[in-house]
Amino acid sequence: MTDYKASSSSSKHGSVSSSMPSSLLVAKPANLQCKDFQEYLRTRSPDTLEKLYNYPTICLAVYRELPEIARQFVIRILFVEQPVPQAVVASWGSQYYAKEQASSTNILTELNVWRTTTIPGGLSAWELCPTFKKNLKIALLGGGKPWSMSHTLEKDSKPRDIAFLDQYAMSRWRCVLHYMVGTGGANKGQGSEVISPDAVRILLHANLMKRDETGITITRQGFQFLLLDTQSQVWHFMLMYLDTCEERGLSLPECLSMLFQLSFSTLGRDYSSEGMNPKMLAFLQHLREFGLVFQRKRKEGRFYPTRLALNVTNKAATVPAVVLEDEKSQESGYIVVETNYRVYAYTDSPLQVAVLGLFTELLYRFPNLVVGVLTRDSVRQALRGGITADQIISYLEQYSHPNMKLTESAIKSKSPLPPTVVDQIKLWELERNRFTYTEGVVYNQFLSQADFITLRDYAQSINVLVWQNERTRTMVVTKNGHDDVKRFWKKFSKNAS
Amino acid sequence: MVNVMKGVLVECDPAMKQFLLHLDEKLALGRKFIIQDLDESHLFISTDIVETLQARVDELMDRISFPLHEKEA
Repeated sequence: MTDYKASSSSSKHGSVSSSMPSSLLVAKPANLQCKDFQEYLRTRSPDTLEKLYNYPTICLAVYRELPEIARQFVIRILFVEQPVPQAVVASWGSQYYAKEQASSTNILTELNVWRTTTIPGGLSAWELCPTFKKNLKIALLGGGKPWSMSHTLEKDSKPRDIAFLDQYAMSRWRCVLHYMVGTGGANKGQGSEVISPDAVRILLHANLMKRDETGITITRQGFQFLLLDTQSQVWHFMLMYLDTCEERGLSLPECLSMLFQLSFSTLGRDYSSEGMNPKMLAFLQHLREFGLVFQRKRKEGRFYPTRLALNVTNKAATVPAVVLEDEKSQESGYIVVETNYRVYAYTDSPLQVAVLGLFTELLYRFPNLVVGVLTRDSVRQALRGGITADQIISYLEQYSHPNMKLTESAIKSKSPLPPTVVDQIKLWELERNRFTYTEGVVYNQFLSQADFITLRDYAQSINVLVWQNERTRTMVVTKNGHDDVKRFWKKFSKNAS
Repeated sequence: MVNVMKGVLVECDPAMKQFLLHLDEKLALGRKFIIQDLDESHLFISTDIVETLQARVDELMDRISFPLHEKEA
């Protein structure tokens, strides 16, 4: 009940402030927004994009992330040394896919990959941006400046294999996660180290954690972050890192280009950091801390990219997920959910127990097994903390024990979880949303139907109408729209009289 | 002439609407709060009651839920 009070007082605050975008009475707390690479670029200014396109690796990464039709457009006009009329480009696809074509055209424009020009004769035409054009050619054909990371010349005397790199990457990454759930400090003896102040600053900046009286605690976005898969976590985290990189004197284009170089490199191969400038070496040290690269010693000029770095662009198909063969059973499936809402988790990792504890009531704890139960209270607690039912379900599905997939219901319904449990979790969520509140103003007692219809149509045209009934001549407009409608009504009634 | 009133539009299922009507009629929250009964799933209520109302509804949901599992302890 106390939790509830806290949340309702914050919603009151939200309704008082006039800067609320839509007049929602119950302010919806911000959820974790996971942008993919394209969305990220779209929010950059044209100037920044221009700077980014100076790097062939970034151009290649952008090109690879484009929708198929857009890639087709780019490659077809890449070597045409003059603008191509828009009508010609439009004629390349069949009418049937006009929608996809239009969206591809939009994306290319938004990303500043091409722009409109006019060719003699007054036709509008597409032209690739010169910087992008030049550097994509370099990426595809070679040439240009050598990469800042090169292959080492002499062989590593103690080469590291892929299994080692995977293990190293995951242990580093778990350090960050452990820190977030607050188990990092408690288990120093187990070899989990405390993360650097820089990493903490990123977590704070990303709103995944916040500072309060008791120290640094995890936020609702942080909880949602924990429920993501590793790949999305790393990508989200790196985006937040890039946001702050200017502050620490690193240039965004350089860092991003380096990140993509890493993602285009070969797993299990060593590269030399020779020829990197001091800033990039600093960046490399940060990547090393998060487990994106492995380096034996700080000063050693040799490093191995790990699977975390190779997966960074968030495209599922490129490299198989970060799973170790021998650790697979533990990583990919350790949770058993029974129809009686009991949850058995075969794990000894404090991180996994902590995440599970977010939405289950833990009953017993054994060295390699934790038993909990999903209750209305525990799930509601999680929902109040900002986790959605879908996130809980997808987490349980993602890590469900291989044997769960063999049950009769799992074979029939695709989901390994018992349908009753899935439905009940969703019902518990729905139960909290039985009401939707919209702050607004009601208009009633119109003298004539014509007056009502005029005002209603006006409110509808400026998109502020929430509810109306012609028979009772009643309508409700949003709080923000009230002033406009009032003004319109005054003018209208003056003209009428 | 047009009558204008500020408040909050509530959208809910018919059952919950009846519950609100009941609360209003019995003065369960100390006073009447429904400004206008719009249709079977919409009500217009006064702004300052929303918080109390939410607490009351939460209470109701707690009361009508039944623990699904037996905790042996």
